[in-house]
Amino acid sequence: MDRYLLQRSLAALLTIWITTIAVSMLIHLVPGDPVQIMYAQSQGTTPEELEEVRQRLGLNEPLVVQYVQYMGRVLQGNLGTTIRGEQPVLELLLERLPNTLALAGAALLIACVIGLVSGFIAAYKRGSWLDTSLMTTAILGVSMPHFWLGLILLFFFAVRLQWFPVAGNGIENLVLPAVTLGVTNAAIIARLTRSSMIDVFDQDFIRTARAKGLPKAMVLYGHALRAGLVPIVTMIGLQFTYMMGGAIVVENVFGWNGVGRMAIQAIFQRDYPLIQGFILMFACIVVTVSLLMDVIYAWLDPRIRY
Amino acid sequence: MSDVAMNDLSETPVRTRATDAKTVLAVEDLCTDFRTKAGSVRAVDGVSFELKAGEILAIVGESGSGKSVTSLSIMGLIPEPPGRIAGGRVFFDGQDLTKLTDRQLQKLRGSSLSMIFQEPMTSLNPVLSIGRQMTEGIRQHLGMSADQARRHAVEMMRRVSIPAPEHRLKEYPHQFSGGMLQRIMIAIAMSCNPKVLIADEPTTALDVTIQAQILELMQELRDMTGAAIMLITHDMGVVAETADRVIVMYAGQKIEEGSVEEVFRAPRHPYTLGLLGALPRLGQAGAVGDTELNEIPGVVPPLTDLPPGCRFSDRCSYATDKCRAETPPLETKRPGHIAACWHSDELESPT
Repeated sequence: MDRYLLQRSLAALLTIWITTIAVSMLIHLVPGDPVQIMYAQSQGTTPEELEEVRQRLGLNEPLVVQYVQYMGRVLQGNLGTTIRGEQPVLELLLERLPNTLALAGAALLIACVIGLVSGFIAAYKRGSWLDTSLMTTAILGVSMPHFWLGLILLFFFAVRLQWFPVAGNGIENLVLPAVTLGVTNAAIIARLTRSSMIDVFDQDFIRTARAKGLPKAMVLYGHALRAGLVPIVTMIGLQFTYMMGGAIVVENVFGWNGVGRMAIQAIFQRDYPLIQGFILMFACIVVTVSLLMDVIYAWLDPRIRY
Repeated sequence: MSDVAMNDLSETPVRTRATDAKTVLAVEDLCTDFRTKAGSVRAVDGVSFELKAGEILAIVGESGSGKSVTSLSIMGLIPEPPGRIAGGRVFFDGQDLTKLTDRQLQKLRGSSLSMIFQEPMTSLNPVLSIGRQMTEGIRQHLGMSADQARRHAVEMMRRVSIPAPEHRLKEYPHQFSGGMLQRIMIAIAMSCNPKVLIADEPTTALDVTIQAQILELMQELRDMTGAAIMLITHDMGVVAETADRVIVMYAGQKIEEGSVEEVFRAPRHPYTLGLLGALPRLGQAGAVGDTELNEIPGVVPPLTDLPPGCRFSDRCSYATDKCRAETPPLETKRPGHIAACWHSDELESPT
């Protein structure tokens, strides 16, 4: 168990380290002169001013030196300041992060509840009309793009029915974006749950559990679900990372003040320090969640633990 | 076969320990159907037999003979659909099991009627501890507390000779060998004092030395508890070593039944004779080099395409036109020895 966790943690650190390299070099991946592009929109910047920005960002140094300087700052918790407004990047991100986590968390909850329940029912009633209709709905759900579903929901529930506000940052504003993000993922989880459970229902040990005379509920939840959850949990971990990505789109559709929305603005404004900070933070979150899933996975499956 | 030999046989006492013992399980005219793409097939066709307290009854046949379906039908574990008990009765403890609801059957399964399976490696849940899997049935049926159940489980593990049971309770199936897992399965099955233990090919997946140990263990437990054991196998060697009585099944039907001694000495059905011929024997006439295994030609016909008359007729060297036209009835050929063959009297005894 300890060795397993150590391995996973080292892999996580390695991932983050590689991310920092990619992030620090990001600015050079843009064709042309990044500083000119950054300031293209603002009028009247003199070449001297541009040169000063280059100096400040350390862009004239060799790449290795740039990376070392960047890492030195990052390790001290300094992600730089934004080009526009010169605000500290870390503070800005941390201010908005809870909103994004709330959105992704609520969406994950919706996805898990709908996905696990409907997938389990479909597997249990395999071949019935209920199974067929649940899985047809799931295919619809999987194929639905976030932004489109978001707009449809906005149109019906916020504009037409006026059950929810169109935009804002209260708890009532969380419902529609969370549903948007949740249902597409619910569909994926439902399909996986179904196939995993069908696989488990056919296993010999389920027959053994029945032969022991255990009540149906114990066979289904104590034995089948417990064994079927192993692959599902891994999948949910992956789903959460996709969900963080989806959050960027959904935040923009619903005007939800999360880091995703800020990131899109930063991209439009070519605010490189902010974009870099955002990517690094996202990578850390994704890696942390994966690590967490590995722990749960090990807890669920003793074959991993030992 | 001469008259002398036959007289000789009729005087042989039947070696059933439990000739006078109480019948614990009676299967009458059991029929189990399965729906397949090719239509409905009758996997078990009118099988009847009795199981007496303390006896080991072997049910023998090739795969597809309906022996496993028979045992699952008794347990009420036929997957439904596609399976369905289409007829017949299973008397156990004064009630017809086929008439019970699943909830009523639950009370019997794992307590007075328990079962072990062919693949010990896959028959236990890989994500639950052995302790959990041993105690859940005990708690369910005997109403014990978690702690009592744990102690009972340890006691059962001792009884099936698992070393360091307290420690091993905390472990998981992947930490055990196949033979140890089958011991665990037996311990689970015996933990609520069953009257009947159905063992579906309990040693097929295990290697030979372990096989013998497991069979010995089952006999010991039978002697200790007086439970009746229904031993499903395709291995005549296992039957000879373990069972008191044997039923031979072919294509869903019972075709021969008798005491092991009787059936091995003078099988009354060519199929049984064939099964015995397919048994490797040491010390048989001739050198080891030329001891050829006589296999039965052909395979069990698919249940969707059975020959008319006797189902074994197209593989049988004794078959005549009568066999191919009329189904032979099960008849008493000797006291306590029945078979379904028109040519029983022509069969040679195996050496």
